[in-house]
Amino acid sequence: MKLEALPWIILFLPLLATAVITLFTLRCRTKSSLISISAVVAGFILSLVYIHANGWHSEHTETSRTWLSIGDLHADFGLKLDALSLMMLLIVTGVGGAIHIYSFGYMHEDKSMARFFAFLSLFTFSMLGIVLSNNFLQMFIFWELVGVSSYLLIGFWFEKPSAGDAAKKAFITNRLGDFGFLLGILMVWGLLGSLNFGVLEAVMTTNPAALGCCATLAGLLIFCGAMGKSAQFPLHVWLADAMEGPTPVSALIHAATMVAAGVYMLCRTLFLFDANALHVIAYIGGFTALLAALIAVQQNDIKRILAYSTLSQLGYMVMAVGLAGPTPAMFHLTTHAFFKALLFLGAGSVIHGLHEEQNIWKMGGLKKKMPVTFWTFILGTLALSGVPPFSGFYSKDSIFAQALHQHNYVLFTVAVLVAALTTFYMFRLFFVAFLGEPRTEQARHAHESPKVMTLPLLALAVFAVIGGFIGIAGLYGAQFHLEGESLTLAQQFLEPLHAPFALACGLGAVIIGLIAAFILYKKAATDPLPARLGWLSRAMRDRFYFDEIYQATFIRAHDFIASVCDLFDRWIVEGACIGLVRGGTDLTGRALRLAQTGNLQTYALLFALGVALVLYFALGK
Amino acid sequence: MTLEVCVMALGVVLMLADFWLPADRKKFAGYAAVAALAGLLFLSFGGCGCCSLSGTAFNGMFVEDGLAVFFKRFFLIAAILVLFMAVEFSDRIAGGVSEYYSLIVFALSGMLFAASANDFTMLFVSIELITITFYILTSFQRGRLVSLEAGVKYLILGALSSSFLVFGIALVWGTTGKLNFNELAAVAAQFESNKIFLIGVLFILVGLGFKIAAFPFQIWAPDVYQGAPTPTTAFLAVGSKAAGFVLLLRVLFTAVPTVTAHWANLLIVISGITILYGNLCALPQRNLKRLLGYSSIAHAGYLLLGVAALSTSGQSALLYYLAGYLFTVCAAFTVICLVTRHLDNDDLSALAGLNRRSPLLAATMTLAMVSLAGIPPLAGFFGKFLLLKSVLEQGAANPGYYCLAFTALAGVVISFYYYFGVIRAIYWSKAAADVSPISLSGPIKVALWICIAGMFWLGLFPSKALNLATEAASVFAK
Repeated sequence: MKLEALPWIILFLPLLATAVITLFTLRCRTKSSLISISAVVAGFILSLVYIHANGWHSEHTETSRTWLSIGDLHADFGLKLDALSLMMLLIVTGVGGAIHIYSFGYMHEDKSMARFFAFLSLFTFSMLGIVLSNNFLQMFIFWELVGVSSYLLIGFWFEKPSAGDAAKKAFITNRLGDFGFLLGILMVWGLLGSLNFGVLEAVMTTNPAALGCCATLAGLLIFCGAMGKSAQFPLHVWLADAMEGPTPVSALIHAATMVAAGVYMLCRTLFLFDANALHVIAYIGGFTALLAALIAVQQNDIKRILAYSTLSQLGYMVMAVGLAGPTPAMFHLTTHAFFKALLFLGAGSVIHGLHEEQNIWKMGGLKKKMPVTFWTFILGTLALSGVPPFSGFYSKDSIFAQALHQHNYVLFTVAVLVAALTTFYMFRLFFVAFLGEPRTEQARHAHESPKVMTLPLLALAVFAVIGGFIGIAGLYGAQFHLEGESLTLAQQFLEPLHAPFALACGLGAVIIGLIAAFILYKKAATDPLPARLGWLSRAMRDRFYFDEIYQATFIRAHDFIASVCDLFDRWIVEGACIGLVRGGTDLTGRALRLAQTGNLQTYALLFALGVALVLYFALGK
Repeated sequence: MTLEVCVMALGVVLMLADFWLPADRKKFAGYAAVAALAGLLFLSFGGCGCCSLSGTAFNGMFVEDGLAVFFKRFFLIAAILVLFMAVEFSDRIAGGVSEYYSLIVFALSGMLFAASANDFTMLFVSIELITITFYILTSFQRGRLVSLEAGVKYLILGALSSSFLVFGIALVWGTTGKLNFNELAAVAAQFESNKIFLIGVLFILVGLGFKIAAFPFQIWAPDVYQGAPTPTTAFLAVGSKAAGFVLLLRVLFTAVPTVTAHWANLLIVISGITILYGNLCALPQRNLKRLLGYSSIAHAGYLLLGVAALSTSGQSALLYYLAGYLFTVCAAFTVICLVTRHLDNDDLSALAGLNRRSPLLAATMTLAMVSLAGIPPLAGFFGKFLLLKSVLEQGAANPGYYCLAFTALAGVVISFYYYFGVIRAIYWSKAAADVSPISLSGPIKVALWICIAGMFWLGLFPSKALNLATEAASVFAK
């Protein structure tokens, strides 16, 4: 492996940036943001250099150091550098870099900008750690670090109670999933005796029944981790609330990278899952996709629509993994990172231009006021809807094809339905917010965002357009040993024609969604759906009451247990046990202090007594 | 020897410099001393003839071995950190600032001799050189009554302990006719049942026990720590205590190893009671320096764990712990020295709102307290771990060691309360009387960063320092 030091540098640069900002430049906004931005951009450039030197599929893909070794447990700190992680490396540093630069414009008015960039760099470090980990233990550590940095960033405006609550909700929900993840890791370690991905894969390939009867359970426990991070049902509730964070954070963490970590982890450890576990995973993914798409139809907050759209797309990816298709899953993850980051940044630009207005019904007519945002946003919308030849079309089509290939017609139908809904809600957002006449004074006085914000939009838009046929799918395919041949650009361009039925259904769904949105929203002043759908619309608007259900069941039960524990702690542990010991210790301390009179004669006497005591003890017997 | 001569010369030069330096340049003398000592420390690592690794002088009275070299570096670092502190403190000393510096350097030379002492004469002379210098250093703030009171108390109790020490030496010489440690070791076995000889050795231990503030000779420590000028207190807590320990190690394990083997129980009891006494008395304490005084008694107890273990691993653990203790205590006293600049008292309340007045000082104090309490990843944790490990290793031979380890753990738990009380006073005090920011000079920042780096280095990368300590302790294995 050439340039072995580079990945280490890439990994630790953002941590260094965090340390420097926190310790030295917290008072200087510009310097701090430049440090953070240069760390991630340098990471991107170095990643390109590394890939250029080693190629995507090098012979040796691991580099590691022994971190600690206690008894039989040898924990390495290592990096895995195959096509899967290298591609993720490019996404995290590339898309992340664009978002860092964008943040420089977006957060310019904020007085805690330095703190923001410190957190952002911490997040980048943790995310790179997940992507590059070569073993479960290290991945779990970074997994938790990502959770912490996400908590810090969601709660960045901690003066707002809603932001604080959202941060807590995200963190605790993630912890629930992580608990299962940790159990799964321990189970794998107990049964297979190693945590290294390479070793585990070798064991599982030679002996597929190595996990024995616990295979399904272990798989599902590990999936719990992905369920938390990638916000799958029933742990999906945190993602929409996480939009309380600054918009670049939503773009970076809650669209492009962190939520993708769950899918990435599933693909990385796919060899551990047996057919039953995959089945469960596929249906959970499909259900999440449908549920979130339905909710997105009746949201009015621009960021929440995008958040539920993210949930829905994550459901697609998880479903693809469950259908034994890591290639479509990672393909969709990659294209999704481009166009969803683009859409979030576009939404941020709109919010910025309208002075923190997020309700789409108070926008309208932004086409003329914000041309760059408008044009890039429509490219993102087309890509997300799956209109050919934009990137989303290719990745979504490969998921449809995978479902057909597995003869799972239920999930295929769900996927097509979700595609129609996706087009519908995205064009609803588009028609209402960007076309028509301005609905409010603010929308009338909207202004385009500065260059530092629009340039990242343009960069991301390019990839949202061409991402489908530049060889990304082929890279992943080679990684997962599925397709040997490499395709030319033109072949990739026409690749979807191999599954004509899937292609036709996908296109049909897009057209139906588009027409429905056009009829309903092209000239609408208010939302016509609540009147037509009645209770269903209200249920969609209120997110199918999941928060309320959780509040009434889990949270209440938890509060009850907590209050019992509190009583036990307060009266039995603190009162009886600690109180007595503490009181006794305190009393002894006070009594001993009495000997310390300050009187010299007493001291001398005590000294002499001490000598006598020692003499007696040593010689007296 | 070159090192000792250089340090002595430096002391004399500093004292003479007082005649020629203008009053406003006195600070400069302190920094010059720091630079000179840092140069000597550097040379001691470079092996430029300053410290050849083995050899004796004065007919075997003075020995230069691994242990001596370890402690000499230790004392040099301690003196450097204390001198940094002393420069900051100089505006609170009425007159003769250069004398204050030179006295610190003289005390240092006493410690260097103590590190090499291999003879009871040398032991006594070096101890007196240290102690007498400290009498003056303690009462140096002549305008403050508490400083004078502390000086007088230290003088009288010190004299009392010295009399025991010299009486003990006389008894040992009277019975055996030997003063050199190695010669004594050869004949000590014959005198194991001779009560006069044993009393002599015990009296010597009393004298050394006074130096390290072990129970039941700890009574002076809180009063003197509180009253003495802060740099003196720091030097007393680190340098003087370490000098006591190096001499204790030499006497117990070089001079009378056969006798020591019978006294395991005595050492266990002293160590256990010292730990409990220090920690319990510190609990209700509100005065910072007094609190650290009691805490230093408790730490003498922890260090005695390593002596009581009677093993090489115990001795090396002790050396390692001392190294961590050096940085931690210097950090704590430097912060106190800076915070109480314009205050009359050293109460905990002085720390209120320190995190807003100077984040660096607040962080340093917090780290110091956390390290003293023994929480990873700082030096104090790893030191305590090694000490307890060495004690538990001996548990199979004598169940008393298990009781001792348990006592030490109980002591650690108790100590959390008052150490975290200090941290609480920094960050969560209700009302801070004074919220003006504290400005730090460049050199003192360097000193603080050295302390912080030392605490982290010893806690995170223990292997290198542990190797040094083991090498030094191997002197006794022969």
